[in-house]
Amino acid sequence: MSLSCRILRPGFVPYLEGELQPGRAGRLERHLAGCGECRELIERVRAGHETGRRFGRLRADIPPRFPAFEELGAGRPARRGFWPAVAVPALLSVAAGLAALLVISGGGSPLRSRSVKADRAFTPLAIREFTTNSKNRIVTEGYVHNVYYDKEERTLHIKLAEGPRDTEPFVICEIRDASGLTIPREGSRIRVYGTARFDAQPGRGWHEVNPVMEIAVLNR
Amino acid sequence: MAWLDTAPGPDYSGAVAPEYSPEETMARIVPGDRDEDLILAARRGDEEAFREIYRTYREPVWSVILSLVGDPVQAQDILQTVFFKAFRGLAGFRFRSALFTWIYRIACNDCRNHLRRRAVHEGPLEDILGSRYEADDTRGPDRPRTRADAIKSAVLALPFKMREVVILKYQEDLSYEEMSRILGCPPGTIASRLNRALAELETRMRRIEGRP
Repeated sequence: MSLSCRILRPGFVPYLEGELQPGRAGRLERHLAGCGECRELIERVRAGHETGRRFGRLRADIPPRFPAFEELGAGRPARRGFWPAVAVPALLSVAAGLAALLVISGGGSPLRSRSVKADRAFTPLAIREFTTNSKNRIVTEGYVHNVYYDKEERTLHIKLAEGPRDTEPFVICEIRDASGLTIPREGSRIRVYGTARFDAQPGRGWHEVNPVMEIAVLNR
Repeated sequence: MAWLDTAPGPDYSGAVAPEYSPEETMARIVPGDRDEDLILAARRGDEEAFREIYRTYREPVWSVILSLVGDPVQAQDILQTVFFKAFRGLAGFRFRSALFTWIYRIACNDCRNHLRRRAVHEGPLEDILGSRYEADDTRGPDRPRTRADAIKSAVLALPFKMREVVILKYQEDLSYEEMSRILGCPPGTIASRLNRALAELETRMRRIEGRP
């Protein structure tokens, strides 16, 4: 590897992104024309860069919530003494959360368990109440307005409204792995168990049940 | 499920953005804008400030940790540890970096330490069987089912330092300068490491996808 290679290689990714200054880009192109080793490397970097960009578009799973952190200061005046208030409840909540996860999943995909036994662990919530909801694990009911399967992400999206002909208010139910699931028909009434959250990505903003842990079809 | 293949794309008729709740508004605050006030308030013991910091950084920190360790259960433990350390360390925060780079640094260090500790007990199978068995990972029941799975597997299979730069660059969309502050090395080192990481990523994708 020559000194030129050593100097120019750090500019590969900015070059591929079109962010290298024109002078440096021209110098790099001239170097690439005469250096087979760098040409080979930049082609691999280019392919890796495309893979990286695809990776960046994949969504990470939803973070867990730790009530001891979430509820800090809610409705209370500021006070000192953070550690005693947080440490013990937080550790207990993690232990309880892991235990609940094991119970609900039953060792396999939650969607494949045909019953959610711990109904009391889910707060009943009407679709119109999502805007003011502060509960994490909820159960809601509504009519299937629209179903869409995202093949790339392998997720099933169900738009759920309160009435059979309502379009609003609505909630989007997202199912991570729909394999083996009986897909509810549009117009059917279903009960959905899962985690309430708000999707605030650019260009859209709606309440979701995501991930869905269980679906019960009430009326086909 | 064949009927789903012909289903129309997302048509969430009437999908108007609802009013943001106070919590969601909080989560949408641009990182860095109010950090100084939050840190000073948190140092005074204001629990609301702690809560704001947590809600603002919970999701990005989670996605970094999950991508770095690959296992949601372990990632939960680390996420909690990171915020404990961050809250405990705020008293010593010197404002020499942005709050988010500081929290990311804690997260990356914790993931590295966690994986190092785990490696003592759970060495890679190839270390036991020999590296020639590595070439067989394109076959067998664990072969990724989709391209998205393949990409995740390839990133997760990168050595930790390479994985860090790929995740911070492409998932978190950070600049070389920001990555440099988080990882504690010069931007030139980050650039070189990113080149090696991307070349390695391509090698692993070829192997996973069975390409020559």
